[in-house]
Amino acid sequence: MSAAAARGPLLLLRMVAYEFRKRIQFRAGFVVREVLNGTVEPLVMLFVYTALYGSAASMASGADGGDEVVLGGWTYGEIIQYVAGLVVVRKLVFHNRALDLAPEIFEGRVTKYLVMPFRFFVLLQGRFLQFTLMQLAVATLAWCIGFALAPDYWLVPVSAGATLQAVTLVLMGSYCCFLVFFILNAMAFWLDVIWSLLVMAWFVIGFTGGALVPVSQMPEGMYGLLSYGFPYWMITAPIELLMGRLGTADFLHGAVLVGAQLLALDLLRRWVWRRGLARYVGAGM
Amino acid sequence: MSTRAGVDPRPAGDGPVLEARAVRKVFRTFERAPGLRGLIKNFVARDHVDIAALDGVDLRVERGESVGLIGANGAGKTTLVKILAGIVPASSGEARLLGRDSFDLRDAEKRRLALVMGQKSQLWWDLPPIDSFRLLKEIYGVSDADFGERLNRFASMLEVEDRLKIQLRQLSLGQRMKMEIIGAFLHSPEVVFLDEPTIGLDLISRETIRRFLIGLSEERAATFVLTSHDLEDIEETCRRIVVLDQGKVAFDGGLTDLSRRVTGKRAVEVHVHPGARIDEVALAAELSGFGAEVSGRSAGSLTVLVSADRLAALVPRLFTLLDVKDLSVERQPLEHLIREIYRRGVDGPAGGAV
Repeated sequence: MSAAAARGPLLLLRMVAYEFRKRIQFRAGFVVREVLNGTVEPLVMLFVYTALYGSAASMASGADGGDEVVLGGWTYGEIIQYVAGLVVVRKLVFHNRALDLAPEIFEGRVTKYLVMPFRFFVLLQGRFLQFTLMQLAVATLAWCIGFALAPDYWLVPVSAGATLQAVTLVLMGSYCCFLVFFILNAMAFWLDVIWSLLVMAWFVIGFTGGALVPVSQMPEGMYGLLSYGFPYWMITAPIELLMGRLGTADFLHGAVLVGAQLLALDLLRRWVWRRGLARYVGAGM
Repeated sequence: MSTRAGVDPRPAGDGPVLEARAVRKVFRTFERAPGLRGLIKNFVARDHVDIAALDGVDLRVERGESVGLIGANGAGKTTLVKILAGIVPASSGEARLLGRDSFDLRDAEKRRLALVMGQKSQLWWDLPPIDSFRLLKEIYGVSDADFGERLNRFASMLEVEDRLKIQLRQLSLGQRMKMEIIGAFLHSPEVVFLDEPTIGLDLISRETIRRFLIGLSEERAATFVLTSHDLEDIEETCRRIVVLDQGKVAFDGGLTDLSRRVTGKRAVEVHVHPGARIDEVALAAELSGFGAEVSGRSAGSLTVLVSADRLAALVPRLFTLLDVKDLSVERQPLEHLIREIYRRGVDGPAGGAV
C-alpha cells in the first residue's frame, strides 16, 4: 500500500482516538451519556406491557381461561425478551449526541476544517466509528450484566450466525441514522431550529423502528409500510433474528433494503453538504 | 492594479500567490420592521436586502509578501480573507490561491495554507495542545523529525514549552493564541492568513507573537496576510498595507508610501505647564498659517499635525504661542493615516484613493 493510500485509514484511526479521548475525559458524563443512556425507555415498556398482558390475561381467564395471552403475535415472555434485546440493540444505534455538528456550523467552528487537506467527513466518520466501537463494548457489558441478573428472562441469541446477522443489520441501520443526523445537522446552513428537528427525528426513528412497540406487533398495514424502512431493520428485525423469529432469508432481504437506503442517504448527504457550504458565511470569524 | 509611486514593497516572484479580480460578495439578509405589527408582517413576508461586503476588490499578492489588511468593522477585510482562503465563495469575480480557484482548492494547495483566527480556536478545546498537534501532524502528513524539531523550536520561541500537555481550555488567552500559532505553522505553510491574532492579548504576549511572525517571515519567505485592529501589529510585521473601506480598496501600497502620499505629516505633541491658558482662536489662526491643525487633546497636552517640510518653522512658533513644558515630534502614527484615508474617502481603485 502506498503512503498516500495508507494515510486515509490512519487518519480515520487518529480521528477515532481523538474522539475517544474527548468522550472519556469527563467520567460522570461518560457514565451518564454512554453507559446509562437508553435504559429508562425499556423499563417503561416493561411496566406498560406487564399491565397490558396482565389485563388481557384476566379478561381471557374470565372468558375461556387457561391459554397464554398473545397480543399481535407476541406472548408476554417474548415481549420480555424483546425488551431485553432492546436494551442491548439501542446502545448500538448512533445517536446525535455523538455527532453534534449543527453548533459547529452555527458558531463557525467548521471553518478550521475547511482549510485543512482532508475531507471533513472523515472526522465525522471517526465519530461514528468511535461511537460504534465504544457502544459495542458497552452493549456486550449490558448483555452480560442482564444475563447474570436474570438468566431465565434475558434474551439469549439462537445462534452465532443469527448474532452476526443481527449486529450487521443494526450497524448498517446505525450508519443510516448517522447519515440522517448528518443531513439534519447540515440544515444548520439554512435553519436555526435544528435541535427540534433532531429530537423529532430521534423519536420518529425510534418509533418506526420498534423502540416503543415491536413493529411486527403493530397493525398489519402499518407493519407492511414500516418494514420497508431502515429503522425496522435496525431495531425490531435484529431482535427477532436473535430470538429466531426471523431467518437468513429475512436478513438478506433487509440487508438489500437497508443498503439501498444507505446509498441514497449518502448521495443526499453529499448534495446537502455541497449546497450548504456554498451558503456558509463562517460566522464569528 | 494601479502603479504606485515610491518603492514597491513586493519582492519578485514566479506569479501571484493570491489574486482577487473584481471580487464582489453580497450577503442577503432581511430587515425586521419594528413593533408588533412589524413582527407579524415579518412572520408572513420579509423584505430582503442585499448587503455588499466586498464591492469589486482587486488584489495581487506575490510570494514572500507580508500584507496588512486594515479596515473599520464591516469594511470587508475578514470577508476578503475568507474568500481568498476558500472558506466562502465570491458572489462574482475571481479569487485564486496558488494559481487555483480559492473555492475549489485541492489537498495539495490546502497543505500549503494556514489560517489563524483570533476569535476562533483552531485547536481542539477539550484536548491538550500536544494532542491537537499530533492530529494536525497526521492531517498534514508532517514527518516525525520535522514535527519534533518545529514543535520544540516554536514552543521555545513563544515560551510555552511547559504548557503543551495542559488542556487547551485551561490555558490563558495569550497561551492559547500561541498554541494556535504553533498549530498553524507546524506544516510549514507557504501562505498564512492571520485574522486578528493578537486580539485581547497583553503587551508581552503581543510582542512575543509579533517577534515570532517577523522571524518566520524573514526565515521562510512565506506569504502573510494579516488583519488586525492593532495597527502596531501591522506596522511591525507588514511591509505592504491594504486599506479596505466599505468593501473597496481605499489604499494599496507600502507603509512609507502611505505615509508620504496621504499626508507626509509629523505629529508634534506639546505638553504645557499646568494651569497655562491657551488662546484657542489665536492658536488656530496661527496654525492655519502653517497648514497645521490640532488633531488631539488631553489634559495638559495637545497634538498638532503639520507637513514635514513646515515642521522646522512651526516648532519655534509653538514656543511663543504656548507655555511649553515639553515637546516631542513623531512620524504620524498609522492610526492618523488611516483616519485620514477614511476622512478623504474612497476615490477609485487601489492606490488611487489618496
